[in-house]
Amino acid sequence: MKSIKTINRSDMTDIALGGAFLGTGGGGDPYIGRLMAEQAIDNYGPVQVRDVEALSDDALIIPVCMMGAPTVMLEKLPRGDEAINALRSLEAVLGRKADALFCIEAGGLNSTIPIAVAATAGLPIVDGDGMGRAFPELQMVSMTMFDIHACPMAMADEKGNALVLNTVDNLSTEKFARVITVEMGGAGLIALYPMTGAEAKKSILRGSLSLISNIGQIITYEQSANRNPADKLASELNGVRLFEGRITDVERRTEGGFARGQATIQGLEAYKGRSMKLNFQNEFLLAEDDKGKPLAMTPDLICLLDLETGQPITTETMGYGYRVIVFGLPCDPKWRSKHGLELVGPKYFGYEADYKPIEEIY
Amino acid sequence: MTDVLREVFDEDLDAIEIGAAILGTGGGGNPYIGKLRCREELKKGRKIPVIPLSELPDDALVVSLGGIGAPVVGVEKIEEGQECLRALHALEKELDVKVDALISAEIGGANSMEPMLTAAQAGLPVVDGDGMGRAFPEMQMCTWSIYGHREAPGAMADEKGNIVVIRETPNDVWLERIARSVVVAMGAAAGLATQPMKGDFVKRAAVPNTITQALNLGRAVLNAHATNADPVQTVINQERGKLLMTAKITDLQRHLKGGFAVGHINLDGFGKFNGETGRIDLQNEFLVFWHNGNVEVCTPDLIVVLDSDTGLPITTEMLRYGQRVAVLGLPAHPLMRSPEALTVVGPAAFGYTDITFNPMEDKL
Repeated sequence: MKSIKTINRSDMTDIALGGAFLGTGGGGDPYIGRLMAEQAIDNYGPVQVRDVEALSDDALIIPVCMMGAPTVMLEKLPRGDEAINALRSLEAVLGRKADALFCIEAGGLNSTIPIAVAATAGLPIVDGDGMGRAFPELQMVSMTMFDIHACPMAMADEKGNALVLNTVDNLSTEKFARVITVEMGGAGLIALYPMTGAEAKKSILRGSLSLISNIGQIITYEQSANRNPADKLASELNGVRLFEGRITDVERRTEGGFARGQATIQGLEAYKGRSMKLNFQNEFLLAEDDKGKPLAMTPDLICLLDLETGQPITTETMGYGYRVIVFGLPCDPKWRSKHGLELVGPKYFGYEADYKPIEEIY
Repeated sequence: MTDVLREVFDEDLDAIEIGAAILGTGGGGNPYIGKLRCREELKKGRKIPVIPLSELPDDALVVSLGGIGAPVVGVEKIEEGQECLRALHALEKELDVKVDALISAEIGGANSMEPMLTAAQAGLPVVDGDGMGRAFPEMQMCTWSIYGHREAPGAMADEKGNIVVIRETPNDVWLERIARSVVVAMGAAAGLATQPMKGDFVKRAAVPNTITQALNLGRAVLNAHATNADPVQTVINQERGKLLMTAKITDLQRHLKGGFAVGHINLDGFGKFNGETGRIDLQNEFLVFWHNGNVEVCTPDLIVVLDSDTGLPITTEMLRYGQRVAVLGLPAHPLMRSPEALTVVGPAAFGYTDITFNPMEDKL
């Protein structure tokens, strides 16, 4: 896998595509973030990408991202300066400027938003992330497993509200930030998990920006060669084609600041006569066959691709009649630890299933 | 009347509790727990010094603080005792300032005690006055906000150790909205300290001498109990109020909505009000009193519900079917009746767009 050193305007298409893929249906459509990043790169120049080992142990690294329901983000666009306001707020509280920014979530909108902020602030961005995918809650990052506190955390919205949170643990941070996000209109920009270079070196998932850039390149290349990228992605990423079919039902509700629901898919071609269900809470979390047997489950990645083009489909855009490929990918090994599964395993999301790695199901 | 109040002592707390609960107009939470916390602090040898409004230095930094949340929750989730202190410290840290004195945002109910409690803990004096002269359900409904003070930044703390600092908002209504959603996440009760004010502003904007007022009112009620005088009449005399009705509660509707206790009570008159009906609407506090279908007293004037025998106030969370009550109207302070105040605390601000505020003295 090639590692990315500089992000130019021309790289943003691939990054957004790869980000949408790793979004596992959630994290919001990276498109808006891509436009913001392209604009910021036009105005302020390209963004330097740093390997975490290249940072000094006492460097200050700050992740910035958007928080809220992806369904809302499609309609309520950021004004543009909220993320910088959140970053400046957090810097003011810490009494120190950030040395590098960080992408908390490689999947979805948050794969591209930090690039826009990095360009605007003239800061480098670390090649890594806290999830290796997208997850719906802010404590669901590898940093939590290493006892790195989400607080102090700063929040800002497009109306001019700015807040700083200091909570007793990361789950409380999520709880507070979530209700504030709802009050802000369903989406807000946040800066949190301020950490030192030393803390980042032990806790983050590495190489994520390079990974999404590569995934984007594969999808673009395969599409231009008139091939469905699923096969190439499967061989490159150690992934599994779980199912192919047509979406026949989508039940979706926005509740508690999340897009929650279930989609039913009727099999086509080799899968004819069978059906499956996809459960989601912002992201796809559990794929089950028609007998209720799990096909793949969180924290492993479940991605939905258009059957013709291989384009990633998000939970908020999928609709009745879409023809899709359901694709599974093993998650980062950090998530398969006891602590990792407590944070993001199927039980946390209220599903009965015991976690079984996708490689063991197939 | 006592001389100028310089310090609150243990023996004053019971009287302040009663006076503040009466001025709470049914809301503001029960001052009982706060009283016990204050008493504990005094037993430890700490003091609650009081500064008369007139003696407040013009450049003193004064912080308005208190509990925020739903009174019904405050009865079950007892405060840990240092919520407001932690909120104060978070605010001082945010602004990098040292505060000189504390003041109550609302004298009515539990928030009469909170600044005294925090004053004892922090070693600061409390100013004799407040921002409402009663209780109101929302933060922007105080004279600080009405007369031009911006409440942000505000710091909130809960009993678990969580702190939220609201650094900037486009206006005080947004501060209220965000603080309200945070307080729900905090378990519907939290301490809140807002942007410090300068002494000269506080002297202009505060409803004056309300700790003294609560103390004297409570003492009068206690004295009436001791001498078998009519406590209801005592309250009326002390506060230049009017008896609106003596009645029995025949219907009570109360539910928690968005962190507030919302509802109404229906009343059937007895005594000289026999055959008459009344209704009181509430949103944490009593807001409108209808007498035989006509509005007789409405916010910002005070509607007070007392036990008809003891003269002790009944808060909205303590209302019960069948209670025999005396309903009183007390005039609001002129600072609460100005045109700019009425846009924030008049009946229309609570959704009663068809009711026009008239001072209660005009009607009765």
